[in-house]
Amino acid sequence: MELNAGAAGTGPHKTASERDEVAALESLQFTDEIRRLMSAPATDNASSFTALLELPAPQAVQLIHSPDSAKLTAAPAPAPNVDDFKGSFHYPFNSGLIERAARFSVFTGDGNINEDNKSNSPEPTSYNSSASLQKPVKSEPAETESSQPLVSDPTVENRRNKRKDREKVKGSTKKSKTAAKESSDDAEKLPYVHVRARRGQATDSHSLAERARREKINARMKLLQELVPGCGKISGMALVLDEIINHVQSLQRQVEFLSMRLAAVNPGIDFNLDSVFTAENGSLMDSNFPGMVMPMMWPEVQLNGNRQQYPPQLHFNALQQSVWGKEEVCNNYITPENSLLSYDSSGNSAPLHSNRLKMEL
Amino acid sequence: MDLHNLNPSSLKSRFTTRFLRALTEINARKPIASSSSPREIFQRYRRIKDAADTSMAYSVRSRRTWSKATLWRLRTPSHRRRLASFGRRSSLNKTRTTTTASHRGAVVVQITSRGGGLGVQLEELRELVPGGEAMDLCNLLDETAHYIKCLTTQVQVMRTIANLYSLE
Repeated sequence: MELNAGAAGTGPHKTASERDEVAALESLQFTDEIRRLMSAPATDNASSFTALLELPAPQAVQLIHSPDSAKLTAAPAPAPNVDDFKGSFHYPFNSGLIERAARFSVFTGDGNINEDNKSNSPEPTSYNSSASLQKPVKSEPAETESSQPLVSDPTVENRRNKRKDREKVKGSTKKSKTAAKESSDDAEKLPYVHVRARRGQATDSHSLAERARREKINARMKLLQELVPGCGKISGMALVLDEIINHVQSLQRQVEFLSMRLAAVNPGIDFNLDSVFTAENGSLMDSNFPGMVMPMMWPEVQLNGNRQQYPPQLHFNALQQSVWGKEEVCNNYITPENSLLSYDSSGNSAPLHSNRLKMEL
Repeated sequence: MDLHNLNPSSLKSRFTTRFLRALTEINARKPIASSSSPREIFQRYRRIKDAADTSMAYSVRSRRTWSKATLWRLRTPSHRRRLASFGRRSSLNKTRTTTTASHRGAVVVQITSRGGGLGVQLEELRELVPGGEAMDLCNLLDETAHYIKCLTTQVQVMRTIANLYSLE
């Protein structure tokens, strides 16, 4: 990754090729960021959070969060108006991009600056002043931290990490941690991920990418927990995975049993779409019916119970008997599934049957 | 549940229409005799189950790995499938275990070493979700979520149909 390539330079002077590489890649990101700013609408928390997950990790690592935006979100306008949103972010990115561009000016001269600043209103005075500050940045990180508060860039930190002692970096990360909370709130509104190195954590690109991956995975596990009923309380990945596996297995088994039931059915009429839809709307059973969890019921008891329930409907009875008869024939061969099926149907059929009785009468 | 008609472009309605079409076709081909042997019923059961899975996989508008895998499983005959899956699985195992230098390999090693039981469950999940052998954990969880959603829809619709037509 180019961060490591940039940091691998032993001294403060990098080779021209490395500098160019870094600069080229960073310029690509600038244009990306600018385009994204222009086109990204203000998204609410949920969709932007899933948008966060779509980003590949290295790209997430590269994006630099300008801490000036933290100040902005603290002060005004909580109402997320699209234009305000875009407008407010133009401001911090001007300074952030200009600082990065200025940093490059120390190394590469003028190559990328024109591209980067083309959409920002260039402020040459601040550009020069920050350029002049860059040399002291390298030697006295503490001073620049105080003079330009929260200017810390993860890329600059990374480079410093490789060369200098860790304490200064930790100090800088401690200062930036106060901004981290605000930045985390910010991150949910923005359409891309800000990954900030926390205190005491390694800041190389591999671990950052891995951390982003782990967060992705944890987020998806949470979604799965919501989908699978009864999983919200369980803590621990292993048990949750157990529950998920059980749920998937039970669903697949239900599909098999239902298709077996359909195989035994004698369709007296053609399959009619409208009746299916109306029955669907009137159906009171939801998918959480624990058909497979129930213990085995004796099929004969269930069948007798059903027949006694609706004696006056003779023609229904005849059909019922034919259907149940077939299932009894199958019972000799496939007992457990049919017992569950009959339990299933007797549970389901009661509300539907009552509906149809009303319709018939 | 509201009593309006279903959204005509929802997953449920797409699946329902396809499945009903498939059922009518199966019934037209071999109408049930009043005394059918269990073997015939078993054959019907297999055909209906395959029809249900196929129609579900087709109704998935967005391309999903599990739907592709389901369709492939039902389309290709078993002997060709065995050869293909043999090649696929061996190459997969190679990429997963031997390349420790690669980024993904390192992360996979981390996850399996973190919890011993976790690896077993991941393998189980991979077996359950069709097409799950070839995916990394992140995508696997995604696919599982979508698969669960589609399975619940399938079960709901099939149960309604079975109730409707077993009592008329």
